[in-house]
Amino acid sequence: MGFLLPILLFLYSPPENVKAFDTPDDGGGSITVTWTLPQEDSEAIRYDIYRYTSATDSGILAGSVLRGINTFQDIGVKDGVEYRYKVAVVYPDTVLFSAFSSVAVAKAQWFNKKTKAALFILLFYGIVLFWFTEEAKKGRRTYIRKIAGLEAVEEAVGRSTELGKPILFVPGIGLISDITTIAALSILKRVAKKAAEYESRVIVPNFDPIVMVAAQETVKEGYTEAGRPDLYNEKDIFFLTSDQFGYAAGVDGMMMREKPGAIFLQGTFYAEALILAETGHSVGAIQISGTTSVTQLPFFIAATDYTLIGEEMYAASAYLSKDPLMLGTIKGEDLMKLIFIVTIIAGVILETFGIHLISNWFSIF
Amino acid sequence: MKREIPLFITFITGVLLVIALFIPHKPFGQLQQTFNDWLIIVGGFTMILGLDSLLLHNWEKIKRKKEGWISSAFLIASFFITLFWGFGEGIFAHRSPFDPSATFLRYFYTYVFVPLQATMFSLLAFFIASAAYRAFRAKDGNSTLLLSAAALVMLGRVPEGQKVAPWIFAFVLILLAYYFFKEGSRTSGTQKTVYMVLGVLSIALIYPVFYILLHYLNYIADWIMNIPQMAAKRGIWIGISLGGIAMSLRIILGVEKTYLQ
Repeated sequence: MGFLLPILLFLYSPPENVKAFDTPDDGGGSITVTWTLPQEDSEAIRYDIYRYTSATDSGILAGSVLRGINTFQDIGVKDGVEYRYKVAVVYPDTVLFSAFSSVAVAKAQWFNKKTKAALFILLFYGIVLFWFTEEAKKGRRTYIRKIAGLEAVEEAVGRSTELGKPILFVPGIGLISDITTIAALSILKRVAKKAAEYESRVIVPNFDPIVMVAAQETVKEGYTEAGRPDLYNEKDIFFLTSDQFGYAAGVDGMMMREKPGAIFLQGTFYAEALILAETGHSVGAIQISGTTSVTQLPFFIAATDYTLIGEEMYAASAYLSKDPLMLGTIKGEDLMKLIFIVTIIAGVILETFGIHLISNWFSIF
Repeated sequence: MKREIPLFITFITGVLLVIALFIPHKPFGQLQQTFNDWLIIVGGFTMILGLDSLLLHNWEKIKRKKEGWISSAFLIASFFITLFWGFGEGIFAHRSPFDPSATFLRYFYTYVFVPLQATMFSLLAFFIASAAYRAFRAKDGNSTLLLSAAALVMLGRVPEGQKVAPWIFAFVLILLAYYFFKEGSRTSGTQKTVYMVLGVLSIALIYPVFYILLHYLNYIADWIMNIPQMAAKRGIWIGISLGGIAMSLRIILGVEKTYLQ
């Protein structure tokens, strides 16, 4: 076999142009290694990347990548230490090493350049929102179109009360860290207040214990604001389970037993969305749904009476409270949407003529 | 102070996390992970509150013999059997109550928990059918468009669907033509002419529709999913993102306080 080695070395070539450099836009502790693939790449099994702290040490295997890949991110390095790399290509019969790369030192960056477009949009959006809020403070009136789903809250609570049935509020399977859940809680407050005015009962089964505690406080606040804290029953806002389909089964069972007159499906939902909405429909309840889970929206639109589509949920608290400051932010949102539409149209026109200015700017996200 | 302190904490946390998105350098780079770790720790403790609520709620139902109290009894019994058996077996056989290789926990998870989840999930197929039945009624122009698009996508995504789709649509056009001619025969004047023209149009469309669906159905289905469907979805996404940012800013700046007592 030994006599074949010179022939194999002649047939195969090692990786070339091995470059090592500090990974850009990161928090340090990482070096990126790149190389030019040999012509015989299709015959290689993998590439092994070896890390050296000096030209004389034996080096350690930093990692491996499959053939066809010519980049590797070494995340096992320390900031401020000089490293050099060699890339070994592993063929079925032999292993060939590249020459040493240049010296690379890992360091943390103070600004992630990939996020500059996001920073620009955030700052601009912040200024727009600030401007509209200031205008609202000065007394400028803001027109907000009617949102049918929110207008129907009173109707749903009223109908449920007339039928002598409880109201079921399902805050979804989101955590308190989801903004959608917070938006759902603000709708819950409104529902609880109305229910207290009509002396109706609100049942809130929860997926997450923290959301449960927040929901208890929200409902209590709603009942207190309506002047009926005596009607508040903490036991009606309870924890069910943190399992997705267990939660769906539990809420479905509750719908079948309690036969609520109104069902609110507000929050983050996944595959259980339609299971809940269809069961709610089968018991004849008026249903108002709302979610920011785009894939579940068609199910809610098909199965429930009213649906808050995406951003309408976020607008709910402003819409229901009629607070001019909050309404100002909704107006700012609308202006930003207009700017986005104009940007998209401009982007389409520029791309048609082969100018990639806008797409390049946004592609760095 | 009851409101001011939480609002101050929210402001500081919110601003720090926004900064962390743009500055990868320490200490900002690790902030999101650190806060997530804290959330998990706090979440772990609140599980005690959750269990307390769950057990009390179900115990109350058993005590008052409310409708479905048997299910509550099963729930409490299952809870304690799983807890004590799992802990007992873990401690005595595996030296750790959290050993995932404990036979009972593994058996319970594989043969009870997973099938129960699968059962609930499989219900979705029937619920989709019942919801689709209501949503896809050709009541007006919009719902007819929805029905047609849905039929094209559904048939275009399955191999056998591609074979039967031309026949189904040809049959629908024949039915339409029959309907228009029948209505035309009942009416007179301009209305009759309109119905007759629509009837002729339906017949004239049979061959082109049949031909197009026979050869290009999968392309039509892909086009519907990739262009109009995706455009609508992205529009909603943009709205959700802007709404999310506005809501976050309202919370960080203390304008939105409904989540506080």
